[in-house]
Amino acid sequence: MREAEAGDAPRFLDRLRAGETAAFEELVITYQHRVFGVAVRMLGNAAEAQEVAQEAFLRAHRALADFRGDAKLSTWLYAITSRLCLNRLAKGERRLRRQGEETLLRLAGGERPDVAVERGELEAALQRAIAELPEERRIVVVLRDLEGLSYEEIAEVLDLELGTVRSRLHRARADLKDKLERFLP
Amino acid sequence: MSCHDARESLSAFLDEALAPDERQRVAQHLEGCSECQRELARLEQTVALLHRLEPARAPVGFVDAVTAAARPRPWYRRVAAAVFLPFSVKLPAEATALVMVALLAVYVFERTPALRESARTQPEVREDPREKTVRAAPRGLTDRFARDPSSGERSPESKARPLEKEQDRREVPTTRERIQSETEIPKQEAPAPAAPRSDAAPPAAAPPAATAPTAPAAPAPGAAPPAAKDEGPLDKSQAENRQAPAPPSAEGTRPAPAAPASPRLAAKRAAPSADAVTGIAVRDRDAAERDLAELIARVGGRETGRRREQDATIVEAVVPQPRYAEFTQSLARLGAWRVEAERPDLPAQVHVILRLQ
Repeated sequence: MREAEAGDAPRFLDRLRAGETAAFEELVITYQHRVFGVAVRMLGNAAEAQEVAQEAFLRAHRALADFRGDAKLSTWLYAITSRLCLNRLAKGERRLRRQGEETLLRLAGGERPDVAVERGELEAALQRAIAELPEERRIVVVLRDLEGLSYEEIAEVLDLELGTVRSRLHRARADLKDKLERFLP
Repeated sequence: MSCHDARESLSAFLDEALAPDERQRVAQHLEGCSECQRELARLEQTVALLHRLEPARAPVGFVDAVTAAARPRPWYRRVAAAVFLPFSVKLPAEATALVMVALLAVYVFERTPALRESARTQPEVREDPREKTVRAAPRGLTDRFARDPSSGERSPESKARPLEKEQDRREVPTTRERIQSETEIPKQEAPAPAAPRSDAAPPAAAPPAATAPTAPAAPAPGAAPPAAKDEGPLDKSQAENRQAPAPPSAEGTRPAPAAPASPRLAAKRAAPSADAVTGIAVRDRDAAERDLAELIARVGGRETGRRREQDATIVEAVVPQPRYAEFTQSLARLGAWRVEAERPDLPAQVHVILRLQ
């Protein structure tokens, strides 16, 4: 599910810290979908997610010179993105509604129409179920089950205790199980 | 391990995120608890559903948008951003500045009498050299005479029209007063067009602003002209006009002071101002008037006004300041004299009022 790491090779980090435009562009190309993915799952709106994702990269660009490399680049970017999303949700800076946005997330594929309908329905139910989760649980399940981060990485990204991550993830999954009961075999 | 404790750890059990001993305990509980086994299966299926979600992809053009936004702005944009403040800062600052400028303007206006005067005065008043000397006279002196009831007789008009006393006191007439005096004087002078000099024939009928200043203090406040008393309260000024004697014959001999060019000038000349007031006790007023005229001419001065009253003759004159001392000393020849008022810093042309009695 996750794209190949661009790598935190020292040479690449040096180029980034030196402000090399090509290196930053490479960083954006590598992490754009992950950053955008977290934003759109958290905010439920593509336009808002694009705005937040762009802001996350710009903040990273401004702070790259000070990036020490203690954490992985991906973890660092997830941390910036998560914070921006949670801040925006907390401040109520929601300009657009989420309704109807789910369809934007579906990939146009060569599926049979009935499969596509079934898939669209499941995705809509999933997106709705995720959107209905409390924000602090939602971010944990997004990072774990959609982005594939380890518990330790999630704890680092969100600056939480490992036990808190475990507990929140369990409650989030239990909520989703109840909401998605009809799709379960 | 209870079912509650086991279920709290099922999610981590699925992810293999438990410590080995905890994992062992959960596994042992699951072997003997079908309910918890079912719960674990439902959780696993739920996570599988989540994994079926297609990964979100950033929209086309996202990379270009981000790199363009991250590109440093051209120098002129940065300069413009530094120079021009945003509206959130600019608007309150401008509003404050506007208020400050307005307050400053009011302050400067209030503190600058010249500005106040120019705002009040009508434009274009033709100047006469004598007017300048009259205007330059100190305010305090004439004000004192105008206001001090014990200083003696005041002008007939100011007595006859007590309601206009306040107007008499003003040194500089307002625009409205000037217009008033300019429009009234011709009417008053019309009945006596043959008068040789409007200031020689006392302009008693002129508005108070024109005559009040020429009235110096008289020792006896009650010594108003009897004719005025007889006339009663109405139109005393006209009565005085009739009582006023004709200009003395000696008038022709004195240095010819410039006659007022216009009624406006007459009104202006009469503006209350004097640099000195001197009283002279004489035995023969007619002789004293002649001697005084000669004396004024000798010191290079000029007589600017004369009015004969019942018990005194009021002579106004302008004397050059360098010869003013000589002039006052020579007054002793006329009789016992006394300087009743004199401003300390005399101007180049001293405007003196002499009362012969």
